[in-house]
Amino acid sequence: MNIIGPDYLVFGVDDIAACSEYLTAFGLKPVDVTDKGGLFETLDGTGILIRHKADPSLPPPLPTSNMLRQQVYGVRAAEDLDAIEAELSSDRRVTRLSDGSIEVKDDHGFELKFQVTIRRELSMPAEKINAPGAPAQRKPNEIGVWEEMPALPRSLSHVVLFVPDIDIATGFYCDRLGFVITDILSGAGPFLRPKANDDHHTLFFIRTPDYMKGCEHLAFHMGGPTELMVAGTRFVKKGYQSFWGPGRHKFGSNWFWYFNSPLGCHFEYDADMDKHDDTWVARETPMGAESSQIVLFEMREKWAPSGGPPPGAKG
Amino acid sequence: MSRHWNPETPRPQNTLLCHIDEVKEGDAKGVGPVGGLKRKIILIKRNGVLHAWLDACPHYSTGTPMSWKADAYFNGDKSHLACHSHGALFDIETGECVLGPCLGQRLTPVEFTVSDGGEIFIASPAEEEKP
Repeated sequence: MNIIGPDYLVFGVDDIAACSEYLTAFGLKPVDVTDKGGLFETLDGTGILIRHKADPSLPPPLPTSNMLRQQVYGVRAAEDLDAIEAELSSDRRVTRLSDGSIEVKDDHGFELKFQVTIRRELSMPAEKINAPGAPAQRKPNEIGVWEEMPALPRSLSHVVLFVPDIDIATGFYCDRLGFVITDILSGAGPFLRPKANDDHHTLFFIRTPDYMKGCEHLAFHMGGPTELMVAGTRFVKKGYQSFWGPGRHKFGSNWFWYFNSPLGCHFEYDADMDKHDDTWVARETPMGAESSQIVLFEMREKWAPSGGPPPGAKG
Repeated sequence: MSRHWNPETPRPQNTLLCHIDEVKEGDAKGVGPVGGLKRKIILIKRNGVLHAWLDACPHYSTGTPMSWKADAYFNGDKSHLACHSHGALFDIETGECVLGPCLGQRLTPVEFTVSDGGEIFIASPAEEEKP
């Protein structure tokens, strides 16, 4: 089962216009979007699909206020879909669609879809840095930042779910679908990566009461921490609401910046996440402010020190 | 005001928020933060009645900002105040959470006065953080 990660996340929203404005301002590209919704994609084609919550083409809603309707996972090949179907059809209904994709519910009732991935291979440099003792990554005269520098989400990175039972959630994704636990924040939950993705996590669970079941946040990979902070700063300047960050997580080492959204969950820019293979031994630490992040900042309006008042002046 | 006022101590009383004409019927407006408070104050005019709530969702003890964009505090059909962190819905008039993670909790009300000239002032201390 070569699951790569989320291709799309599907939402049933109550305000198409507001969500369209938000997703576009966040840096996603509208694809065939109308007043009925549509796809908003990253540079590699992964992204967010929105429809009005009353749209009958949507999978049914969760029994909570959460707007997430479906997680669409990309796999490497058609054989992987066959393997998933064979595994899951033993104890639940698996629907095979005409395009070969399959739909199924997980053990908490989250709607899932598996398809041969639509993601396009990207060929772009990561953020380049220079440091004494290491070969320069930027050539002479190659500048690091400029006002109009691009800072667009490159790929849908991960989804974080509120679930009432961590054991049930990890049992399904690890035992049935071959995900691996990379680290655990005890009191919250585990980080998971699927077999065909070496990112620290594409999925994370947070234990909550049943009435909160749903999507807590979703995240997009940026080209580096500078792109993350440039994109976030531009977003705040347009009036959007920061929730947490910018900062850098400990588990996963990824930079983060979270924002409120009209989709009922947080949207995150992330950058520079750790990679792992099967030799990695999962760490576990209690969830808390110190364990969650190595640094945390809060945006402020730009200022610059100048000459300042003369000595002795009242300021 | 004391000459030795400590800016770390919130002193929001009598702080001017805005003019009542700046809050349109049916709209919400986020003002501030003012008076040393860390959070904005949400002003809403519904059926000619003004309501004021601290922009702090009670889901987390520190209270987190609720809009998804400046002044965007409502759900899609504008029937409720919404926290755009996790989708909690609040009754506009009572501040009670009617759906979402802080079900049964309430927003913090902000007491206010309106001057003869239509200026809205904070009337009493607004609680910054809940215990």
